[in-house]
Amino acid sequence: MIRNKKTPNTSKAVKELLHPIVKKWFFSKFKDFSLPQLFGVMEVHSRNNVLVSAATGSGKTMTSFLAILNELVDSSEKGILEDKIYCVYVSPLKALNNDIHKNLIEPLQEMEEMAGKSLGLRIGVRTGDTTAYEKQKMLKNPPHILITTPESLAIMLSSYKFSNHLRTVEWTIIDEIHSIAENKRGVHLSLSLERLQYLSPGMCRVGLSATVAPLKEVAKFLVGDKRSCKIIDVQYLKKMDLEVMSPVEDLVNNTYENIQVESYKLMDKLIQEHKTTLVFTNTRAGTESIVHHLKTKFPKKYYEVSENGEADSSLIGAHHGSLSKEHRIQLEDDLRSGKMKAVVCSTSLELGIDIGYIDLVICVGSPKSAARFLQRAGRAGHKLHETVKAKIIVTDRNDLVECSVLLKHAIEKKIDQIHIPRYSLDVLAQQMFGMALDQVWKHDEMFEVVKGSYCYSELTKKDFDEILDYLAGNFISLEDRYIYARIWWDKETNEIGKKGRLTRVIYMTNIGTIPDQQGILVKDKGGNKIGMLDEIFLEKLDRGDVFVLGGNTYMFLYARGMVARVSPVPGRKPTVPSWYSQRLPLSFDLANGIQRFRKLLDEKFRNKKSKKEIIKFINKYLYVDEVAAEALYNYFKEQFDYIGIPHENKLIVEHYKDEYEKTYVIFHSLYGRRVNDALSRAIAFAIARSQHKDVEIGIDDNGFYVSFEKHVNVMKALSLIKAKEFRKLLELAIDKSEVLRRRFRHCAGRAMMILRNYGGKRKRVGRQQVSSMLLLCAVRRISENFFIIRETKREILEDSMDVQGALEVFTNIENKKIKIKEVNTLIPSPFAMNLVMQGYSDILKMEDKQKFLQRMHYMVKAKIALKKGRS
Amino acid sequence: MLIHKNIEIRDLGLYLVKEKVLVIGDIHIGYEEELNIKGLMIPRFNFKDLKERILKILDNVETVVINGDIKHKFGGIMNTEWKDVRDFLELFGERKIVLVQGNHDRILKPIVKDMELVDYYKVGDVMICHGDDIKDVESKVIIIGHEHCAIGLREGVRLEKYKCFIKGKYKRKVLIAMPSYNLLAEGSDVLREKKLSPYLQGNLDKFEVFVVSDKVYDFGKLKNLR
Repeated sequence: MIRNKKTPNTSKAVKELLHPIVKKWFFSKFKDFSLPQLFGVMEVHSRNNVLVSAATGSGKTMTSFLAILNELVDSSEKGILEDKIYCVYVSPLKALNNDIHKNLIEPLQEMEEMAGKSLGLRIGVRTGDTTAYEKQKMLKNPPHILITTPESLAIMLSSYKFSNHLRTVEWTIIDEIHSIAENKRGVHLSLSLERLQYLSPGMCRVGLSATVAPLKEVAKFLVGDKRSCKIIDVQYLKKMDLEVMSPVEDLVNNTYENIQVESYKLMDKLIQEHKTTLVFTNTRAGTESIVHHLKTKFPKKYYEVSENGEADSSLIGAHHGSLSKEHRIQLEDDLRSGKMKAVVCSTSLELGIDIGYIDLVICVGSPKSAARFLQRAGRAGHKLHETVKAKIIVTDRNDLVECSVLLKHAIEKKIDQIHIPRYSLDVLAQQMFGMALDQVWKHDEMFEVVKGSYCYSELTKKDFDEILDYLAGNFISLEDRYIYARIWWDKETNEIGKKGRLTRVIYMTNIGTIPDQQGILVKDKGGNKIGMLDEIFLEKLDRGDVFVLGGNTYMFLYARGMVARVSPVPGRKPTVPSWYSQRLPLSFDLANGIQRFRKLLDEKFRNKKSKKEIIKFINKYLYVDEVAAEALYNYFKEQFDYIGIPHENKLIVEHYKDEYEKTYVIFHSLYGRRVNDALSRAIAFAIARSQHKDVEIGIDDNGFYVSFEKHVNVMKALSLIKAKEFRKLLELAIDKSEVLRRRFRHCAGRAMMILRNYGGKRKRVGRQQVSSMLLLCAVRRISENFFIIRETKREILEDSMDVQGALEVFTNIENKKIKIKEVNTLIPSPFAMNLVMQGYSDILKMEDKQKFLQRMHYMVKAKIALKKGRS
Repeated sequence: MLIHKNIEIRDLGLYLVKEKVLVIGDIHIGYEEELNIKGLMIPRFNFKDLKERILKILDNVETVVINGDIKHKFGGIMNTEWKDVRDFLELFGERKIVLVQGNHDRILKPIVKDMELVDYYKVGDVMICHGDDIKDVESKVIIIGHEHCAIGLREGVRLEKYKCFIKGKYKRKVLIAMPSYNLLAEGSDVLREKKLSPYLQGNLDKFEVFVVSDKVYDFGKLKNLR
């Protein structure tokens, strides 16, 4: 049973729980309990499963630790403190662990000072960076509170000796659960929790979450389908000062370069007006570029000048995942100690590492969801009662619309729904492999443990058994099986156990769910790093091809080893699909908000409201200033006059032919990229199937296009798609696309069919990529329905795309809730411009390889004949 | 299809009609095991497929020339290689087998025992060698392997790779480079990738391309495909 705790405990009641030392310490630090503490401390103390959702800086972490520290101090004083792990604290970030370590050890030291003696409490950190010596120490003398990551937890669960220390755990705390529940790391963790609970049946679970919706789903993720959990929802919010800013008054009649220059000026102005600023950019390339530009444009402001007048240490720094750990930790320390004027990060500082005093957050470009914006904004004034100050700087009109609606959602607390992946068979295979290392299992018992997780509550025995068969190598002929088998499964006794001497090593060194993403380094002729490319992508590039990377266009020159050389060609149209893996997708809820706003404006224009009146409306509805409101007015008016404004009940389909007679059919479907990805592929597939032609697709958050050489009746193709066969159709569609090949590698890696580490060697990512294609072909020979292929499709459809959202849209088209309006244009409409300019995202191959060969042969022969005829 | 006078393309091999000689090469037995060692747990189908395909092209063959790289592992012998190389050679029954030395299978003797290993093999005016180095031998025609010839055909953003033969001139001799008989990988794209064999370092624009799929497709000169 999941239910909300509606009333807090009294301060007196909570106070009475506390041991005198803890009480004395607490009130030497704080005036009173915070709201989350009044709600939560008693629950943690009573060992109830509980999910605490509250804003960053509201004392969530202390809520969970207060009751536990209290208990440990009390036991220590009574002399009954055991040498065991009482509490496991899991956080998604390694850096966070160091941080919590400080936040736990310091209070403890202070309590010991107050008590005038050592309390004998041990706190240990175990991550991928922990040395063998430290691990050995922990094995001998387990910490009372163990701080770890999801991956290290899984490793400990399968450690022959260490797992004994996990048999009497009383609390497990999952920090930042909202961020972890959204991806396969969370799915993986949900199974580790079940394994841990199997070892420690009495354990209770505490989840700590930032602002997120729906909380009930997150609570289920925390405890599974069968256990009860209380939700503490203290959306107790700090005062907010949020604003969307445009660097120039007119975003249209301004060159890209000028907007850039003005953006840096605005950024600099804001940074100078504040003590410490944190800037979010969404991408790693953007991070580097902003730091570089601010430093070169305003050298005096971003270097500390030493006494002899030379520029000394830098006052601004970049922080993102590709930088070395040392660099990041140094930067975090400098930030905390107030040395930095500004730090620019991609998304890496979104989560709750204590970064000291920040008085301003700037987002460059849209944060893509209200929840993410609030999370980022929450990094400013990271203390109670402080005002949160955050600005979004926009650089084009689409951005302006999106961020203005986002701001409205953030202010009105319309929080985006999170998507929790379920039924991931690749992660399941990995965890079942791990379970088989622990003990000999009865089939049914193992199945029940797995089903305890919310992500697998609907798992069927058939799929479970298929994975057992895979792990036992039953898909391979008997003579070769020894190479592939990781477990044995005796079908007579129905027992399962580990197989092979090296099995444990293979598991321990290949654990995890995050795929290696090194790929090909892209450099310009001068050797400057531009970014990274996937190897599959490189395979497709011929000399002279133009492609988009980090928002700029480049021409491919040549590749040597793992480095590709390019030259920048600003403004050129790409000749190959763009690579979007790094971009954040627009949330479905926010997309709907924008659609609603569009509808309201459409109505106003139709009712011939005056310009003044409409601007006033925008101004009020979106919380933007008048300059922005006027820019929005102009943008929408242009679109309205040209082909009309698409909105939640009106889908405009624009037909347009470029100068090479190539047809583009543009769908103004503002549903976010995850939905558009699914919609576009289904439609492209329906066209390709009926016309036997390859179809090109271009996708972004605001719409998509399909494109082909000859005339195609798109509307007819559309009418052939039925909502009830939508998913099936999509599955067929992705069978023909590139994205399947890319994702298959990741899934095969998680299912440990591709090993990063084997025979004591680490494998290069590039090689994994090419050879994973061979694997896909071979696996298809076993069965088109092999579980890794099925999982790859599920991941694409449900996690990467939003098949559910797309189906909703489709159903609404079918039952006429959404009306389609077709228009022909000579040049793309204002809303369509960005989409057509950015180039294609994928291509749907209808012809099989042999047909393609035959046609190419025919064409080459014709070309030769023609030449001969001429001479 | 005849690729040259008296020389016929048979699947991924060449057949010298008058002399009844079949030339195949670059089989790379053990490749899957090598992939296993590299961490790729690929199920093994290649050898079975290979045997089936070879049995179909043995009509009227009296001599089989294996033009190098019958096995994959450099400088050693892997588990599967011991058994599969012997199994493979047994496919040819009573026919004469000529083993031409490749660069991957330097250590082959322990498996094939008393069978002879040659640097090159000459039939009439045709010289067959692996192609990793130049053989100073008089002949009108040279057949090489080593390169694993394949060609990428491209239309728009679609690029597909196919196994192929290429035929051209090397120092006024006719040169034919073969595709590999390894069914797992297509090979290296002669249009886009760096050539390995010293026989193929010159300009290949005038080389003719013969793609092997359900049948042989004559694509004319390489320069037409750029």
